[in-house]
Amino acid sequence: METVFLQALINGILLGGVYAAYSAGFSLIFGVMGVVNLAHGELIMLGAFTSYWMFVFFHMDPYYSLPFAMAFLFVLGYVLQKYIINRVIEQPHIMSYILTFGIHLMVSNIALKLWTHDFRSITTSYSGANAAFWGLNVPYARLITFTLAVFIIAALWFFLSRTETGRAIRATSMDKEVARLMGVNIREIYAVTFGLGAAITGLAGASLSPFVIIFPEMGLGYTIIAFCVVVLGGMGYMPGALWGGVILGLAQSLAATYLSAGISVAITFLILFFMLIFRPAGIVGKGQVA
Amino acid sequence: MRARGPMINHGTSFTFWACFAPAVAIIGVIPLFSVSEYTLRIVTIVLFWMGMAGCWNMMSGYTGYIDFGPVVYFGIGSYATAIVMTKFGCSFSLSISFAGIAAVLVAVPIGITTLRLRGAYFAIATFAFAETMKQVSLEFDRTFGFTFFEGSHGITLPICMYDNRFFFYCIFFVTLAVVLVHYSIEHSKFGYGLKAIHEAETAAEIAGVNTTGIKLRAYVTSAFFLGLFGGIEAYWITYITPSDVFNVYKTVQMVIMTLLGGMGTFLGPIVGATFLTLLSEILGTAFVEYYLIMVGAIIIGIILIMPNGIVGTIKERMGIKFI
Amino acid sequence: MLSVLFTRGAPVCPPSGNQFMNVLECKNICKNFGALVALEMVTFSLRDGEILGMIGPNGAGKTTLFNCIVGLHAPDEGEVIFCGSPITGMRPHKICRLGLSKTSQIMEPFRAMTVFENVMVGALHGGQMNMRDARVTTEEVLEFVGLAEQRNKASASISVPARRRLELARVLATKAKILLLDENMAGLNPHEIDEALELLRKIRQSGKSLIVVEHIMRAVMGISDRIVVLSYGAKIAEGSPAEIVRNDQVIQAYFGKKMSAELSG
Repeated sequence: METVFLQALINGILLGGVYAAYSAGFSLIFGVMGVVNLAHGELIMLGAFTSYWMFVFFHMDPYYSLPFAMAFLFVLGYVLQKYIINRVIEQPHIMSYILTFGIHLMVSNIALKLWTHDFRSITTSYSGANAAFWGLNVPYARLITFTLAVFIIAALWFFLSRTETGRAIRATSMDKEVARLMGVNIREIYAVTFGLGAAITGLAGASLSPFVIIFPEMGLGYTIIAFCVVVLGGMGYMPGALWGGVILGLAQSLAATYLSAGISVAITFLILFFMLIFRPAGIVGKGQVA
Repeated sequence: MRARGPMINHGTSFTFWACFAPAVAIIGVIPLFSVSEYTLRIVTIVLFWMGMAGCWNMMSGYTGYIDFGPVVYFGIGSYATAIVMTKFGCSFSLSISFAGIAAVLVAVPIGITTLRLRGAYFAIATFAFAETMKQVSLEFDRTFGFTFFEGSHGITLPICMYDNRFFFYCIFFVTLAVVLVHYSIEHSKFGYGLKAIHEAETAAEIAGVNTTGIKLRAYVTSAFFLGLFGGIEAYWITYITPSDVFNVYKTVQMVIMTLLGGMGTFLGPIVGATFLTLLSEILGTAFVEYYLIMVGAIIIGIILIMPNGIVGTIKERMGIKFI
Repeated sequence: MLSVLFTRGAPVCPPSGNQFMNVLECKNICKNFGALVALEMVTFSLRDGEILGMIGPNGAGKTTLFNCIVGLHAPDEGEVIFCGSPITGMRPHKICRLGLSKTSQIMEPFRAMTVFENVMVGALHGGQMNMRDARVTTEEVLEFVGLAEQRNKASASISVPARRRLELARVLATKAKILLLDENMAGLNPHEIDEALELLRKIRQSGKSLIVVEHIMRAVMGISDRIVVLSYGAKIAEGSPAEIVRNDQVIQAYFGKKMSAELSG
């Protein structure tokens, strides 16, 4: 019986890592610009598809395609912010999230038109391979993504605190007007931030490709989870994405093991709903409240 | 001393009623002429979406609190009607009242809790609630061992003896009520309160506007009519499932129609609903996927170019007040 | 015409004619924001028909105090008493309907509405009138403050002095008995300030009591019956304008110890 519990625990933590990996970008974008990117899931979907198509056409191992996914999504995110989202950035926030919602609809349905409803997956020699000990299974692919999550957040922290661009980004998120007076080109910083957020999200999406089902409409579900993770951990607070993800992952894993798989989805929404009502600043209270 | 100032809406003028009353009368008598079933269906659907978009407009359009979960009250209305008709054998008219009451009973506590949130948080909270209800109706029976929602099997309602004309009039009258609510908003203290909340909520509160009460009133009224629509729809198509009646794409429709027409205007939902329904009819069922791409493009276009929608932009440019 | 501004349905706070009756009392108001002490044991009263000036260096807590009085913040400790009834922690709209309202330092007109419609909101909701009475009241208030000709203009397009008067008009339309004015003269040139002061005198004559926060010394000194001085969240002096000007602590608060020493000896 303990094995079942420990396995559920391990599944939950690894799942949490996966969640954290693709939610960090969402938190960054909101923290710096106040934009709730409802097209977030599409960034993940595009990252996953980049891996998939590179696998199909070039027989490239998914993990080698990570840099390509990153580069592609950075450019996409940068262009999106610079030429489209920046145009509503000075207006009330509701404009930006209706806008990103429109982008979500367009991108997911164009993808649907191009690539059809078919579910796709990548099977490699190591897909489904586990480290097995003490009667427990630890899937390698998820372990890698978990490590990637930690790496992403650490790298992000390093970038934001040690590099000049990173400091400019932090300054902008703290006080836009003062940053502007200090010579920071706000619109450029926004574009770079969105590009960065998109890049790490694409990276995470690509790293998911060995073990998730890939299809054009997958985005919305991921957006919802990202939102839940970030509200739990605190909007705009990077480390929060990590353990916000782990908490959600554990809750879902335990619910799926001991109740039913369907209930675990309902749990995500219930957690999100109650967090928004009672503690919108996240469990530790370090998040920004809209 | 007679007040000479402008009202928010000049609609009490003769011109307005001269246009409005005949339009209502003409639409009202369409079924009495021998029109084809197809035409009747189209008009019914246009009226349906006018009413649905109007429900979203009366809450989100006027207050600026973007609600991404209004479909939940549609679904609650559908399920209330379905359950009451199948389990208790009630007549349709009685069941429809249950639909409205059920929606209101849920809307009050949800409204009180969510309306304290602002901006994106309100949108996501309402969306989360809607998805939760969908999951609950899918999983409730299986998890707790009841036969209530019937999960993904859905509920089949008794076949009705009435024809499409009956449903036309059901929808016609509910939509008319929604339009009259809009009229009353444009002319009343309530409307002034809603618009003040939209512009500057704190300043409104200091000026004596009971912001919580007014927001809640708009939210619950919207929910009530959505519940009625849900009940009518359930009876009309006789078979409901959670993924159908709690479908987020109904919300998307309400939002895009109001956005296109013009948020917070009297004619906005009417114009937006008519335009988009006819457009999707023209594009036909083979182009459903293009429809959504187009909807996405319209949303982006509206936000970037015409954030006030068609009617809103006309009002602003030409200074007309009564639409 | 003035009588319309003067009376209301069921006066919570009837004009007593007694200039020594306190219409507003604040007792030991404390307010903290996390580790920041914004207000510390602030106590003062406002008499019927009085114009009370409130001054103090930036950051002294004047706006926070106003926010505590009208109900935007609930004070951590202390009481606010309006005509003998405690209103501490009541919701702002209820306090407004009882007869207490304020203008904002950062002007917040309802931008999409015209001048007339802005004032209507105050009359309808704060003054709790029906549409017809509200229109009459709005017309009269606009006449009173001198905005009648601009009634149909978009409120975002009028000049700064006009916007200040619009803020005032909105508060007057609520039939408030006590008006809290937070830097209502900021951004005005000397001529406009004189006009604004005239308007305040007219308002006081119609039976209202005012608390005026200003940085423009000649305005505050000229119009106030008494003055309260705040610094770093605490009340450091209270008295007539003449007394305040000579008060050591006030001079210290504004100019520092050295200047105070120089002036006194």
